[in-house]
Amino acid sequence: MSDVEPVIFVIDDDPSIRRSVARLLRLEGFNVTPLDSAQELLDSCGSIEHACIILDIAMPGLSGLELQEALASRGISVPIIFLTGRGDLHTGVHAMKRGAVDFLTKPVRGAKLLAAVRDALARDRAAALGRAEVARVRRQLALLTPREYEVFEHVVAGKLNKQTAAELGTAEGTIKVHRARVMEKLQVESVADLVRLAERVGVKGSPASP
Amino acid sequence: MQWITIIWSVVAGVCLALAMVHVLIWLRRRTAGHLFLSISSLSAAAIAGFELAGMRAQSPEQYGQVVQWAMLPIFVLTVSLVFFIRVHLKAGRDWLMWVVVFLRTLVISLNFALTPNLHFTEITAIRQVPLFGGESISVAEGETRSLSPLGPLSQFALLAFAADAMVQVWRRGDRRRAVTICGSTILFISLATVHSPLVLWGVIDSPFLISICYLAVVIAMAHELSADVAGAAALGRRLEASQEQLRESEQRMDLAATAVGLGMWRWDIGTDRLWISDSGRRLFGLSEDAPIDLDRVLSLIQPQDRQGVLHAIARSMNGDGDYESEFRVVLPDGSVQWIRSHGRAEFDGQGKACCLLGVAIDVTSHKQAELEAHQRREELAHLSRVMMLGELSGSIAHELNQPLAAILSNAEAAQKLLTRDSPDLKELCAILDEIVEDDTRAGEVIRRLRILLKRGEPARQKASLNDVIRDVLRLVHRDLDNRGVRVETELQEMLPVVQVDPIQVQQVLINLILNACEAMSETAAGERVLTIRTWANGSQCVSFSVRDRGCGLPDANVHRVFESFYTTKPHGMGLGLPVCRTIIAAHGGKLWAENGPGRGACFHVEVPAGATGGAN
Repeated sequence: MSDVEPVIFVIDDDPSIRRSVARLLRLEGFNVTPLDSAQELLDSCGSIEHACIILDIAMPGLSGLELQEALASRGISVPIIFLTGRGDLHTGVHAMKRGAVDFLTKPVRGAKLLAAVRDALARDRAAALGRAEVARVRRQLALLTPREYEVFEHVVAGKLNKQTAAELGTAEGTIKVHRARVMEKLQVESVADLVRLAERVGVKGSPASP
Repeated sequence: MQWITIIWSVVAGVCLALAMVHVLIWLRRRTAGHLFLSISSLSAAAIAGFELAGMRAQSPEQYGQVVQWAMLPIFVLTVSLVFFIRVHLKAGRDWLMWVVVFLRTLVISLNFALTPNLHFTEITAIRQVPLFGGESISVAEGETRSLSPLGPLSQFALLAFAADAMVQVWRRGDRRRAVTICGSTILFISLATVHSPLVLWGVIDSPFLISICYLAVVIAMAHELSADVAGAAALGRRLEASQEQLRESEQRMDLAATAVGLGMWRWDIGTDRLWISDSGRRLFGLSEDAPIDLDRVLSLIQPQDRQGVLHAIARSMNGDGDYESEFRVVLPDGSVQWIRSHGRAEFDGQGKACCLLGVAIDVTSHKQAELEAHQRREELAHLSRVMMLGELSGSIAHELNQPLAAILSNAEAAQKLLTRDSPDLKELCAILDEIVEDDTRAGEVIRRLRILLKRGEPARQKASLNDVIRDVLRLVHRDLDNRGVRVETELQEMLPVVQVDPIQVQQVLINLILNACEAMSETAAGERVLTIRTWANGSQCVSFSVRDRGCGLPDANVHRVFESFYTTKPHGMGLGLPVCRTIIAAHGGKLWAENGPGRGACFHVEVPAGATGGAN
């Protein structure tokens, strides 16, 4: 995982807000990119990594909530902190349901904003880590042979060796050998770890036979 | 019997009686006509006496004296007759009159200068002439003087005078008088003038008929005068009757005027006397009898209203229309009344105003009602403005929030900077500059808000409509952004200045803009366009219009939107547009609505331009 400096986007059509918030964040040592419209963000960055967005809602053109939707539909999961002049409940709930990190109203105390930013960046890091982990597991799974993959699926489904042997048409002993090799390749000690690993990448295993 | 004596005595008697009667009348009424008639009558009586004496004369000397002295009353009678015609009939030429007087004076002077008299150089004998009925009269015989004809001739001047007067009076249309007085004068005097010389010169043997002829004239004059007297009496009775009617009519009018609180007045400009009816006096708190002039009335009017009243008076005196003014009067008990006065000026022959007359009415209760209504309207306009600003409150709060949020972040950044060992002073300066700017921005919003929410008398001032519109757009742009409405402006530069209350015009504009946004809430996002135009209609009016692309107005009843309490909004009260219309009307302008062209509605406003535009 690279140690890229995270970027904080500050998107607000009001120049004073952009300037003052950017200044505050920069003094904390963050790397800030102010933008004056949501559209600019969509246009400029292809994929956004290691960033969080401080986003106003009421803007001419694309509104903050619309940007949130657009990013989600493009599969870009950047943490968003809403910073708005209009703090009505309905909008807030809407924003949070769609995965915002926080919903702040102007004027906002610096401490609160910084806490939200740190929270967002932590989440971002955690997400990045999670993604990295998944990628790693997938790479490892790719090392399995097809047969080993089948056995892996059955074990994760909770089947006994005897059952697996019966379903795959091999001897129990062969199954035991495959199982050992899978656990070695995937570097896990126990079946429980195997199951957790499978869950992490979304493998549920073959369904129980009727 | 001595019928001559009887007849001539009767003639004298009648003349004397007439003379007495008319002298008494003259003493009472002092009309000159009666005096001259008296004198004429008296003279005629004297002539009759002399004639009788002449006819009974026994000696030539007696006869001579009689004739001489008889000339005197003839002179007096002639002169008084001429004066009578001149003064009573007001006819006859002056110079002719003096000719007559001169000639008669000449004759009478000669008469007394000569002996025995003008007509005879010598009277030789008296002879008795027998007449009808056994009477006989004395007749003179002697030599007549050559100057004798002078007497009769001078009478022709009198006849000429009378004829001329007759023509004048006839032409005047007074035919009856012309005939009676002048006609009889001419007739009988001619008769006497012709007859007497004939008798004097011995051509005819008869009594002198001068007195009888003059009596006829005197009777004609008396008849004329008595007709006047009788006429005057009848006139007097009619006058009394009409005065009675007048009194009644005045009483009725006074009653009516009092019931309505109406006073009548008449100001005579020449004498500066002001007449005010009783009810009018009560209006001003004046006592019932004191005579008053204009200054007295002006002193009762409140000082700040006096100028207006004087202006109005001057205007109507110049012929510039009727007199109309409204002013306050302080009554003796200290209360203040509003009085409205209407009148007109009357002009004399030269076109100068000679009097001003009119009515005054107490309008205190009207005025109070007017003031109250005005106050209510203002309150309503204010309320409407506040409610409307309530609709904008979201965006207003937002407008304030932005600078406040920026200030907070900046201040905290500055605090952070100051904790460093060597703070970046340039950065700090930049921060403080921005804080000041943002604070000013917030202050502007508050200032504008305060102005809009201020409750007070509308203050007209010279304003540029374009500036007012731009201010409003600044206020509402966030709202428009929120609703996705785009604004297009077509503001004509160099608009004439208008005299308006900017707050109220802003109120109207905001109302129209909010309505337009509301109308376009169903319109597709990209098509929500609001167009604001301004233009000048000649040099007299300035117009602006607010056009939307929304659902439009119901075609059948476009004007219904201006009805009170008519609204299509679920939570609307329907007072915004009626109030707007009242506001524009109070500025002397018009507000109306129409659909299209194309989709949507368009609201037009027109206000008069110029420094003194607008009604009260």
